[in-house]
Amino acid sequence: MRRFYLIALLAFLGPASGQPGPVYITPELQRLIQAGGQNYANVLLRQAPDQALCSIHRNRLPPEVLGSFIEEQRRLIKYPEGGRLMGDWKRGEAIYNTLARGNCFSCHVGSPLNIGGNVGPSLEKYGQRGTSEAVQRYTYEVIYNPWAYFPCTVMYRFGHGGLLKPEEIADVVAYLLDPSSDFNTKPALKR
Amino acid sequence: MGRFWRLLAALALALGALGASAQEEDDPVKEAEKQKKQLLEQSGGILPSDLYVQQGEELFKAKRGPKQASLEACDFGRGPGRLEGVVGRLPRYFFDTRRVEDLDSRIRTCMIRLQGFRPEEIRRSEVVAIAFYIASLSNEQTMYVRPLMPQEKKLYELGEKLFYLRAGPRDMGCASCHVTYVGRRAGVLPYSDLLGDKRVASHWPAFRYSNDQAWTMADRIRACYANLGMPAPDFYSEPIIALTLFMNAQARGARMDLPGFIR
Repeated sequence: MRRFYLIALLAFLGPASGQPGPVYITPELQRLIQAGGQNYANVLLRQAPDQALCSIHRNRLPPEVLGSFIEEQRRLIKYPEGGRLMGDWKRGEAIYNTLARGNCFSCHVGSPLNIGGNVGPSLEKYGQRGTSEAVQRYTYEVIYNPWAYFPCTVMYRFGHGGLLKPEEIADVVAYLLDPSSDFNTKPALKR
Repeated sequence: MGRFWRLLAALALALGALGASAQEEDDPVKEAEKQKKQLLEQSGGILPSDLYVQQGEELFKAKRGPKQASLEACDFGRGPGRLEGVVGRLPRYFFDTRRVEDLDSRIRTCMIRLQGFRPEEIRRSEVVAIAFYIASLSNEQTMYVRPLMPQEKKLYELGEKLFYLRAGPRDMGCASCHVTYVGRRAGVLPYSDLLGDKRVASHWPAFRYSNDQAWTMADRIRACYANLGMPAPDFYSEPIIALTLFMNAQARGARMDLPGFIR
């Protein structure tokens, strides 16, 4: 418990001392969140400075913070050991089409296995872009950390959030890009 | 209770037949209306929510709890025992508890204060049924939530902040879907327009026919968190009341459809 107080104190002093990070959760909001229960508060009160910035600006960052925000998000991206950005498309297929893992189909059209949603852009026949290093890198980075390209978007930051390992993201990249992947050879399911 | 079971049997048959219906409407409101009409025809004029209403009425009027009292003296904001239209005025500030309360938490307060239940004895299913009964007495009335008291204004502001707050491993926040992607689909249902469409907050509590669930706004909010892998705020807790106050105030002027009938 003493450790908890110490962490709380550090969290409180952090923005005040060191570098001034954006703060969204005021003491009043903190009290409200704590009333929602321990588990709820544990997650919400651990809001990161980038999440705070998106909250403050209601998901539309003004030009003056955009540059440094994108730079910081780019710095967060990590790559698979060995640097292979395209893994196994079969494993990627399972991740893409599983609700509790990638859940990609819920928002994007393109999968031949699940009807796609329209929250995100259609990825139908995504492999038409080819498999150049630039395309692989862009695809990998968007999945690892979409905020590096689309600040504050709803898409999960799969790599940064710890939802998928770098190698798993490479598998999804393969599912999208490999010319022999079912994603590119079979018709996408649509509503 | 005989009537209750007869109704239940008729409904079970009718609900079973629902799945076999023809093609689905694209607009979820129209689709729900179609399903409701079909269900009413097949069940002989009753809806599943009618059962909850009836159960809730029995619970509301029965002398229960350590104090052997009914809930008829409960004040939902228009004075003890006055239930008509109260759902359209909640959440609001109550002087007796010195708190802003929503429908769920007010029912709980009265079960504790009037009937003498201990908080841990209160069954969620009973609160939901009572909420359905009270909601049925607000049907077709006007939504009139307007934060005027300082406590209400404060909680409204905090609810609005909470609505835009992003946190957790999935960067979850209500507004990222219900403002930015209104009308788009991730799964079966398009995201409702909580800020622009007054019908959205004015149909709770509601029966969800595709899942056979009776939900209040609290259940809806908690499911939003859970769908994105977040721990949900406790039932009857302030974050739920703050979000409900913020959303209900957006629906001011709407004609309430209660209990709601939705997918």
